[in-house]
Amino acid sequence: MSTTLQPYLKAVRQTLTAAICLENFSSQVVERHNKPEVEVRTSKELLLTPVTISRNEKEKVLIEGSINSLRISIAIKQADEIEKILCHKFMRFMMMRAENFIVLRRKPVEGYDISFLITNFHTEQMYKHKVVDFIIHFMEEIDKEMSEMKLAVNSRARISAEEFLKRF
Amino acid sequence: MPDTFSFGIDPLTCHAWNHDHSQLALSPNNHEVHVYKWSDGKWKLSDVLAEHVQRVTGIDWAPKSNRIVTCGVDRNAYVWTLQPDGKWKPALVILRINRAATCVKWSPLETKFAVGSGARLISVCYFEQENDWWVSKHIKKPIRSTVTCIDWHPNNILLACGSSDFKARVFSAYIKEVDEKPNATSWGSKMPFGNLMAEFSNGSGGWVHGISFSASGEKVAWVGHDSSISVVNAADGSKLTTLKTDSLPFVTLTWIKENNIVVAGYDCSPAVFSYDGENVVLIARLDDSETKQQQGSKFSAMKHFRSLDNRATVESNDTTLETVHQNTVTQVTIYAGTKANCTKCSTSGIDGQLVIWDLRSLENSGSNSA
Repeated sequence: MSTTLQPYLKAVRQTLTAAICLENFSSQVVERHNKPEVEVRTSKELLLTPVTISRNEKEKVLIEGSINSLRISIAIKQADEIEKILCHKFMRFMMMRAENFIVLRRKPVEGYDISFLITNFHTEQMYKHKVVDFIIHFMEEIDKEMSEMKLAVNSRARISAEEFLKRF
Repeated sequence: MPDTFSFGIDPLTCHAWNHDHSQLALSPNNHEVHVYKWSDGKWKLSDVLAEHVQRVTGIDWAPKSNRIVTCGVDRNAYVWTLQPDGKWKPALVILRINRAATCVKWSPLETKFAVGSGARLISVCYFEQENDWWVSKHIKKPIRSTVTCIDWHPNNILLACGSSDFKARVFSAYIKEVDEKPNATSWGSKMPFGNLMAEFSNGSGGWVHGISFSASGEKVAWVGHDSSISVVNAADGSKLTTLKTDSLPFVTLTWIKENNIVVAGYDCSPAVFSYDGENVVLIARLDDSETKQQQGSKFSAMKHFRSLDNRATVESNDTTLETVHQNTVTQVTIYAGTKANCTKCSTSGIDGQLVIWDLRSLENSGSNSA
């Protein structure tokens, strides 16, 4: 199973490197405004074709690009009920603190668990290849964190049940 | 070795040189234009032109008449003239656009200039003597999206423009108050104002980021977001040649000889391509990152153990790029020479650096990379 992880991440990395070529673009719909075109979606010629990279049906990444912004949505592997709850809570925790993450979006795109919005202002202030590194690192770590949390939940449940039943 | 000058951490949106490159005008990604003078081996800030209220998107410096034209997101353009006391005085240009201006270029004879805008039109402006102001005429059809780049033909009449509707076009910008009747060119003989002389599609669809006429005006080249470089030779029946490169897209280009163009973009390093009538081929990359890699391997072992010693971590120091520019190059302009024979060119980037590249070393070293 893990043999598909490296090619999957490599494909995501290369697509991101190409899609993160953003430039400062003033809105051609509202004067004096500057909006992320991937969110506004009013001018079709400014949007790139969305690309979905799937490892399997449950794990996939949707990359939507435009002339000045990029949206990456990740669907995380959730095998059972516990993982679903953990994932939901973990993502909600991070999305509430989206301002500190800078590139995180407060609401995930429909059908995915977490979304990032990268604009030309971010690529002006940060190195593009390091932003891509961050996203890939995030994708790698998220699975590890989820497994760790699941183990922690299970072991904590076992210990507390043991303690409780010692009385009887 | 290229000359590097750093102007802070803010991106340099655009830059322009005066006629003898002793002065430089640039915009640090805000509403101001900074004019620098070269003195004692450094660039000294000599003036700040602050008339725009929003980001400045284009600067052009007319070499003979010594006037600067700037345009910005606030839908305005100003023509700056140097006063006897050394200060620059702005004159507002009535562009009549209702969206941001994106690019501006003086015509070769400096009698007029063209401004591209997000209002899907080009504003060609000339000076009306009787009212003492700059007026504009619009080229609208058939542009369908923001005009991203423009360039003048040496005959002062024809204008090439690239747009985010994936097309590169050549228009006539003939203004009877200012121009004499033009002779027929390879692009056509009838040139009323706003006439579309030629229209080309950018291959598989990619916004046109930069466009440039060759020194003779017979060829026009543009770069698109699909990482392609296209050249059209009007003398050869408007033959279109496209090269799809495997690097990140280029955003700016200029002809440096009748058959050579230098391009730069998201790869952060300029490259020189050549057009021989049939194909576009890469001649050289101006950023010699090969030698840098060799030097890097010697020191990385020491760095590795030093970081292991200091922090007990294996630190992969790949934050800084190996190229001179650390972020996207925004503009490449001719520094010394002309489009027919350029000896040096300058690039400004989002990393706040301005780098001057010597192109003569290309001829000396020969084509050493492909």
